Amino acid sequence: MSYAAGIPVAERAITVVLLGNPNTGKSTLFSAMAGIPTRVGNYPGVTVEEKLGRMAYKGHSIQLIDLPGTYSLAPKSPDEQIAVNVLRGQMPGVPVPQCVVVVADATNLERNLYLTSQTLELGIPTVIALTLCDVADEKGIALDIQKLSQRLGCAVVRVVASRREGIDLLCEKILAATGVPQPRPAGLDASLTAETPTHSPAASEAIARYQWIENVLKGIVQRNPPAIRSLNDSIDAVLTHRVWGTLLFATTMLAMFSSIFWLATPLMDIISRGIDALAAGAEGLLPPGAIRSLVVNGVIAGVGGVVIFVPQIAMLFFFIAVLEGCGYLSRAAFLMDRLLVGVGLSGKSFIPLLSSFACAIPGIMAARTIENPRDRLLTILVAPLMSCSARLPVYLLLCGAFVPNVPVGIPWLRLPAVVLACMYAVGVVVAAAVAFVLKSTVFRGPPEPFVMELPGWRWPRWRVVLQRVWESVSSFLQNAGTLIVAVSIVVWALASYPNYPEAIDAEVKAQRQFLTDELASLDSTPADSMPAERRENAADIAEQLAFLDTKAGLAAAQRGAAQRQSFLGQGGRFIEPLVKPLGWDWRIGCAALASFPAREVVLGTLGVIYNLGEIDPGESEDASALVRRLRSATWDGTTRKVFTLPVALSLMVFFALCAQCASTLVVIGKETHSWVWPVVAFAYMTVLAWLGACATYQLGTWILS
Amino acid sequence: MCPEVSLRDVAVGSTARVANVVGSDLTSMRLLEMGLTPGVNVKVVGAAFLGGPLELELRGYRLSIRRSEAARVTMAR
Repeated sequence: MSYAAGIPVAERAITVVLLGNPNTGKSTLFSAMAGIPTRVGNYPGVTVEEKLGRMAYKGHSIQLIDLPGTYSLAPKSPDEQIAVNVLRGQMPGVPVPQCVVVVADATNLERNLYLTSQTLELGIPTVIALTLCDVADEKGIALDIQKLSQRLGCAVVRVVASRREGIDLLCEKILAATGVPQPRPAGLDASLTAETPTHSPAASEAIARYQWIENVLKGIVQRNPPAIRSLNDSIDAVLTHRVWGTLLFATTMLAMFSSIFWLATPLMDIISRGIDALAAGAEGLLPPGAIRSLVVNGVIAGVGGVVIFVPQIAMLFFFIAVLEGCGYLSRAAFLMDRLLVGVGLSGKSFIPLLSSFACAIPGIMAARTIENPRDRLLTILVAPLMSCSARLPVYLLLCGAFVPNVPVGIPWLRLPAVVLACMYAVGVVVAAAVAFVLKSTVFRGPPEPFVMELPGWRWPRWRVVLQRVWESVSSFLQNAGTLIVAVSIVVWALASYPNYPEAIDAEVKAQRQFLTDELASLDSTPADSMPAERRENAADIAEQLAFLDTKAGLAAAQRGAAQRQSFLGQGGRFIEPLVKPLGWDWRIGCAALASFPAREVVLGTLGVIYNLGEIDPGESEDASALVRRLRSATWDGTTRKVFTLPVALSLMVFFALCAQCASTLVVIGKETHSWVWPVVAFAYMTVLAWLGACATYQLGTWILS
Repeated sequence: MCPEVSLRDVAVGSTARVANVVGSDLTSMRLLEMGLTPGVNVKVVGAAFLGGPLELELRGYRLSIRRSEAARVTMAR
C-alpha cells in the first residue's frame, strides 16, 4: 500500500488502541512503541487519563491510544466505561480504532484472556501482545504461541518491551490485521449460550468465558519447574510469612522513607549551594537594580525551587520502580489496606501518603500507581496534609523559641518534642477526617472492591527502573517546572513593587526616630524603678539602633521597608482583620502570604520583614538572631509582644494544614489534568488551616489566662 | 442442614472449591471476572495482619481480596 505524497500525516494515520489488565506492562509497551506521549489529558468530564502517542513504521503513521488498565469490558467504573466507548468509536474527539492491541501477561494468561474474549467479540481487528515473556521464561512457563494464535483467530506476538524485542513484529501484525474483519472467537458463542440455570446471569457469563478459556489453553501452557525455583520459593515464603513478612515490610518502608528524607538531603544541599553560587555570580555580573533583582530573586530562586525537588522525586520513583519491578508494590498495598480502609482509602494510598511526609510532590506523583480514579484523586487531595520536610524548620524554630523547655513527666521527653509530635499528628488526623468526609459526601458511591493481583517475586528489570525514574523527573521538570518558575516570578514582583526610594527612606527615618524616642523615654525612667522586662527592652532597642547604623543594618531596614510597602505588604495589612483572630499581626500575615511559593520561605520572609535582611534560618547564628527579634517584636505602636506561646502554636498549626506550596498545587493540577482540583485543595486546606489556627490561639489564650 | 462455609472461613494454607458467588453487584461481578467462578479451586496462601485482606492462589496466579469480599464466596463442602 502506498500513499500519495502531500497528504498530511494525521489523515493517513492508523488508530491503534492499547488495552489490557493493570500491571501487564502496558505503559512500558506504549513507551517502547511511541516514546514520550504526544498528548496526556483527561477524557471530558472524568478524571480518567487520556494518553496518546504517535509512531512511524515502514512509512505508516500509527496513532496509539493507551487506555487505562481494565479487567473487563462490562462497564462498572468510569475507566471501564471509557475503554468501552473508545473501542466502540463512541468517544467524541477520538477516531474509531482500526486495530486493538490486547496486552496480555504471559505469566497469567488464563485471567488475561477474559478481557481478550470480550474484545474479540467487538469485531475490531485484534492483535495480542504477550508481555512479561522474560518473567514467564524465568518461571518455566512455556507457551505454544502458534497454536494460541490459531485458536483465538488473531495474531499473537511475544514482546519484551523493556528490550524492545518483538516491537517490529507487533507493528507488522498490526498493519496486516488492519482492515481485515475480526472473526468471532470459535466456540465462545456455544459456551455463552449453554444453559447454567443454577447461577445468576453474571455468574453464568463468567463461568462460560472461563470455560472457553480453559478449552483454548488446553495443551498450550506448560509449567516446568524453573531452575531457580528454590530461591524464588524461599523469598516468597518469607514475603508471605506473618511475622517475617511484616518485619520485612516495615524495614523496607523505613528504608524507603529515610532515603527520601535523609539521603536526598546532601544532593539537595549541593543543588542549593549551586543555585547560591549562580545567584552570587549573576549578582556580580549585573548592575544593581530591577533586572538584577528579577534574575537573582525571581528567576534563579524560582529555578532553584524547582530543581531542589529532583533528588526526592528521583529517589522515590527509584524505590517505587524497584518495588513494582519485583512485585512488592501490590504487597505493600495488601498489608496496609486494613489501616486505610476505615477512612475510605485503600492500601494503594499507603506509599503515596508515606512519601508525602518527606515531600508532597513525589507523593502526589506516586498516586499514579492507584488505578481507581476516585481513590487516586482522594489520595492526591489529602497527601499535602502530611507534614513534609519543608514544615520541619518552621516547627523546629518555633518549638525551640516559644515552647517552654519543661519535662512532661516521662523521662527524656520534653514539651517541645511533644508539640513537634503533635504537629505531625494534626496532619494525619485531619487527613483521615477529610478523606472520610469526602468519601461519604462528594466521592460517595458503591464500595470499590479491593480485588488486586499479587504478582509473585521476580527480579526487577533495571532498564525499566531507570526509565521510570527518568520519566518522572523529566515530566516534573517539563510540566510543572515552568509553571513553578512563573509563580515564583509573580510572587517576587508582588514583593518588590511598588518601590519608591523616598517612601522607603522616610519609613527607615521614622523608625530610627521611633527607636530613639523609645530609648530616651526608657532611659529617663530611673533604672531601679524599671522592671526587668523593660530593662531588657531598652537593651534590645539599643541593639537595634546600633545595627541600623551599620551598612548591613541600613540595607536590611531598607529591604524591610520596601517589602512592607510592596503589594505583598499592602496585602498583609489588608488581610489583618482576617489574621487577628489567629493572634497574628499584619507582619505575620504578610509572611504567610509571601510563603505561597513554599512554606520554608516564611522564616526568611520573617527575617526580612523584621529588618534582619537576607537571613538563612538554617544557620544557627541567623536563626538565633531571628528568634531574638521575633521575641522582641511588639504590636505596632504598643509594647505588647506579638509572639506568645498561643501565637507560636497557632502559626505552627496553620503551617501544618495550609496549602502554602505553589509547587504542590501545580503538581496537583498537572497530575489531575484540571485546574479545579488545585483550587479545591488550596481552598479547603486554607479554610482548615485558618480554623485550626484560630481554635488553637483562642483555646491557648483561654487556658493560659 | 449445616451452615454454609465462605471463603473467609477457609484456613490459611488449605485449598477449597468455590460453590457460588452471592450477589450480583459490582463487587460480585469483579470477583467472578477475576476467576473466582463456581467450580474453581482456591488456595488461601496468607492473610494480612489486623484482619486485613486475604491472599489467594487460583488459576495460576495470586489474588488479594478483602475479608468482607471473601464472605460473599461460598465454598463447596
